[in-house]
Amino acid sequence: MKKKSLIWTLGLVAAAGLVPVFTSDQYILHVCVMILIYVGVTVAWNILAFGGILSLGHAAFFGIGSYTVAILYVKMDVNPWLGILAAMVTAALGSLLLAVPLLRLRGPFFALATLAFAESLRLIAIYAVPLTNGSVGITTPPTQGFALISFSSREPYYYIVLAMALIAIGISIWIYYSKMGYHLRASASDDEAVRALGVRTPRLKLAALVISAALTGAFGAFAAMYLFVIDPETNFSTPLYSIQPALNGIIGGMGTVAGPIVGAIVMTPLGEWLRTTFSGTTQGLNFVIYGVALIIIVRVMPGGIVSGMKKLYRRFRPENRSDGTAPDASGPIQPEQELANSEGGRS
Amino acid sequence: MNLLVQTLVAGLLLGGVYALIAVGLNLIFGVVKIINFAHGELVMIAMYATFWMWTAWSLSPYISIFIITPLMFGFGVLLQRFILQPMQNSSPTIKIFVTLGLSVLLQNLALVLFGGQYRSTTFPWAEQNFSVLGVTATYGRITAFLVAIALVIALFYLMKKTLTGKVLRALAEDRETAGLIGIPVKKYYLVAMGLGTAMAAIAGVLIGPFQSVFPLAGAHFTLLAFVVVVLGGLGNMAGSLIGGLFLGAVETLAGTYIDPALQQVAVFAVFIIVLLVRPQGIFGGSARNAEVGLK
Repeated sequence: MKKKSLIWTLGLVAAAGLVPVFTSDQYILHVCVMILIYVGVTVAWNILAFGGILSLGHAAFFGIGSYTVAILYVKMDVNPWLGILAAMVTAALGSLLLAVPLLRLRGPFFALATLAFAESLRLIAIYAVPLTNGSVGITTPPTQGFALISFSSREPYYYIVLAMALIAIGISIWIYYSKMGYHLRASASDDEAVRALGVRTPRLKLAALVISAALTGAFGAFAAMYLFVIDPETNFSTPLYSIQPALNGIIGGMGTVAGPIVGAIVMTPLGEWLRTTFSGTTQGLNFVIYGVALIIIVRVMPGGIVSGMKKLYRRFRPENRSDGTAPDASGPIQPEQELANSEGGRS
Repeated sequence: MNLLVQTLVAGLLLGGVYALIAVGLNLIFGVVKIINFAHGELVMIAMYATFWMWTAWSLSPYISIFIITPLMFGFGVLLQRFILQPMQNSSPTIKIFVTLGLSVLLQNLALVLFGGQYRSTTFPWAEQNFSVLGVTATYGRITAFLVAIALVIALFYLMKKTLTGKVLRALAEDRETAGLIGIPVKKYYLVAMGLGTAMAAIAGVLIGPFQSVFPLAGAHFTLLAFVVVVLGGLGNMAGSLIGGLFLGAVETLAGTYIDPALQQVAVFAVFIIVLLVRPQGIFGGSARNAEVGLK
C-alpha cells in the first residue's frame, strides 16, 4: 500500500510540474501560483492544527514575511533570495510574541488572540510610515532576473512556488510522522494525559508555532516578489491570509496531512472564480458563500473533505477491511493514524 | 490635566457600552457554552438597523431601540434554534467553526447589501454637548453609558433574584443535573441566547449616534468583548462591568496620548500583559473557565 501511495504522490507531483507545458494561459498559471501559495500557507497553518491548535492569525506571519523581503530589498538592497530566508527568521521571531497566549489560553481564546495579533500588526504597518510607507505600501523594482525573483512570464514563478510548496509539504509529512508529530497529535486528543506521561507539550506547541510561522513567512515573502506591491490591507489581510487558510484547512480536513492540500486546491480556484464572477457591485459575495459552506460542511463532514471521502471509500469497499489492513495505512503507524483522522480536528 | 480627565471620562462612558456587549457574550458563553465569534456582528447588525431606520423613516435611535431590541432577541433565538442547537453536542472546535462561519457570512452579507462605506447616524440631539465642572461629553455618549449600566445592573438583578436567573445559573453550573431535575434546558438556552443578542443589539443602537458603521465594525467588538470576559472572569457579571470600563479607558487613553490608529494595538497589549501577570484574569477564574478553554 505504501508503494502505491508513493506512486500516486510522484504522479501528482509530475502532473503539477507539467502544468506550464500544457498551458501558457497566464491567467490559469496565475490561479495555479495562487493555489500553491495557499497550499503552502495552509500546510504551514496545519502544523499547529496537528496539536489541535486553531490559529486565525496567520496573516501576521504572512505579512511579516512580505514586509521583510520588501523592506530589505527596496531600502537596503538585500537580494530577495536572502530576503526569503530573513523573512522566515523574522516571522519566527514574531511568532514568539504569541508564545504567552499559546501557553496560557486554549482553543477559542488562543484563536482570538491570534486574530487580534494579526490585526494589531496590520495597524502598526499602516502607522509605521518611515519603514512601511503606510497604506501606500511598497513596490518592488521591475528589474528582472532569476537572482532577483522577478520575471516577465508566470512560468518561473510557478516552478519556484511549486518547489517551495513541496518543501513545505515534505516538512509537514516529516513532522506528522515524527515523535514530535505523534506527541502533538496525542496532545490534540488529551493534552493533560500526554503531559502526565512526561511529554513537555508546551515546548512542542511552541516549536510547532515557530515552524508554522517561519514557513508562512517564506510564502509571504514569495507573494511579495510575485505581486510586486506590498500593502497592509493585502499582506496583513485577515480574510485573505488568516481566515482563508483556516477555511481551507477546516474544509479539507484539519490536522491531517492531505486535508490542507486538498482544501487549498479546491477552495482557491473557487474563490478566484467567485471573485471574478461577482466582482464590483457584489464584492463580498464569495465570502458569503464561504460562510454558508463552512457552516454546512462542518455539520455534514466534521472531519473535512478528506475524512468524508475516506468514510465514503470504506463504505463502498468493505472487502478491503476484512483482511485486517486499512487501505491507506502503513503498518505500525496505523493506530495513530486512525486516531489522528478521527480526533485530529478536536482540541 | 483637563485633557486627562476629559479622556478618562470619554473612555469610561464608552466602556459602559463595552461592558454591556461583554455581559451579553458572558451570558451566552456561561450558559449555552457557545464561543460566539459572531457576537460583534450582532452589534453591527443593530448599528445598521439604527442607521437605516433613521435615514429611511427618520426614526430616532431612542425610538427604534424599542423595535430593534425585540427583533434581535428573536434573531438570537432563531440562531440558537436553527444553527447552534443542532451542534450542541459537537466538539468545541466544530462550534467555533460554525460561529466563525456565521461571522464571515454576516460581515460579507453586510458588504454585499450595504457596500463598504462608513455610514453615520447623524442625530442632532445626541451630538449636543453637556458640560459639568469643565468636563464635556455629548448627550449621545452619556445616554449610551447610563442605559448600558442600567441594563447591566438589571441583568445582574435578573440573574441573582429571579427564577429565570436561578435557572440560567443552574444551567451554567451543570447542564446535565439541571436537565435531570426537570428544567427545560433547550428552552432556557433560547432565552439566554436571545438575551445575549438583545444586549449586543442595544449596545449597537446606543453607539449608533456617535460611531460609524461598516461591514467590519463588529470584529472589533468581538475582540473587546472576549478580552473583557478574560479579564473579568467567566460568568462574573461584575468583572465584565469593571473590565469593560477599564478597556474603554485604555482604548481612549491610547487614542489621545499615542495615536487613534493604535487603539486596538493597546487593547491587545493590555490583554497580553494581563495574561502574563494574571493568567486567570483580574478577578480570578472559576473552575468553569476550563470548560470553554481558559486555563
